Amino acid sequence: MAGVSTKEIKTRIRSMESTKQITKAMEMVAASKLRHAQARVINSRPYFETLYTTITDIVNSNSDFSSPYLTQRTGNKKLFVVIAGDRGLAGGYNSNILKLVYAQIEGAEATVLPIGRKAVDFFRSKGIPALTESYSDAADVSIGDCFSIAKLISKAYLKDEFDEIHIGYTNFVSVLSQTPATLQMLPLLHRPTEKPAQTEILYEPDSTEVFAAIVPEYLGGILYGALCESRAAEQAARRTAMESATQNAEDMIADLSLKFNQARQAAITQEITEIVAGS
Amino acid sequence: MTPFRLTIISPDGPEFEGNVEELIVRTTSGDLGILAGHANCVAPLGMGRATVVMDGKKRYGACIGGLLSMVDGKATLVATTFEWAEDIDPERAESSYQRAQQVLGSKDASDAEIALAQARLRRALVRKSVAGSK
Repeated sequence: MAGVSTKEIKTRIRSMESTKQITKAMEMVAASKLRHAQARVINSRPYFETLYTTITDIVNSNSDFSSPYLTQRTGNKKLFVVIAGDRGLAGGYNSNILKLVYAQIEGAEATVLPIGRKAVDFFRSKGIPALTESYSDAADVSIGDCFSIAKLISKAYLKDEFDEIHIGYTNFVSVLSQTPATLQMLPLLHRPTEKPAQTEILYEPDSTEVFAAIVPEYLGGILYGALCESRAAEQAARRTAMESATQNAEDMIADLSLKFNQARQAAITQEITEIVAGS
Repeated sequence: MTPFRLTIISPDGPEFEGNVEELIVRTTSGDLGILAGHANCVAPLGMGRATVVMDGKKRYGACIGGLLSMVDGKATLVATTFEWAEDIDPERAESSYQRAQQVLGSKDASDAEIALAQARLRRALVRKSVAGSK
């Protein structure tokens, strides 16, 4: 105990306190951003879900496979659209989604379309080619950008540049739980339901054209939904991470204060002993 | 007239859900009217006015992009943007229209800017015409 000077402990307490202030501030910023992001997820979720179920219903009851969006291809050229964050300090948010996508990429001839600086940096360091890096700021991607990305990838798909297009994003389950997931965007998966479609669907003007017009819209909608989910998940992850960091800092401060008081008391006791012994 | 179930949804949230008697939307191949008992159909939406007839009264909306699906007697309008006529801000549409006209009128606009301005012009025109028909 006597070995540690009170001054040294005091410096550590002070540095811990400033760290705590930073993490506390980050926690509060994340909490306020989370509220906005959460409201947006809740608003956009019905759209995301309706769009997804409508398209799946149409695809499943469809019997005409002339549209290129429906044909399964044999090649192995995959495109992964990956949504991650721009900044770290968000617990496992970035590493979870990047790890999940990277595990799926291995062995395939893959290209990525990273959204968010962390994703751009990660795939660059792994030497995986990127289709475009113009969406490196996940915070700046707007709904209009989602539709431009959708147009870009559906065009590339039609030109046979890719055989499969997947998206990797993080599902915002709750404030405390976020799960990374991947979803196949193209070709549209055909899962025939148990009850065969008895009713024919009328396509206006015809099925190939309907799919040609709907699919880019669908991809844009899915992208926007995934982006909203990911953003909310990022803020939630950051808030939780910063909350526990603040808690840890508080614990350490309490621990150090105890040590400081002990050292101070020891010094006083020693001084008294010396004075008594000297008189 | 027999009513049918209609759901209108956009990325900003659900816009409408209820029973209506008639729905007219602008698809990419022209206006399409839906009444109860319509055959199952799917159509991509263009840009234009959507008309909903409810209790004999007409209600208009600006509907841009997305798709309409009518399956098992239930209509779902999944729109990229959807605004009811009464929610449209005519001044904003007007200023957006003016800005687009300016870009299209200038000589040194790039192709991308022109494409953007054209899209904006079309949206503004739809909004202006719908706002006028409430």
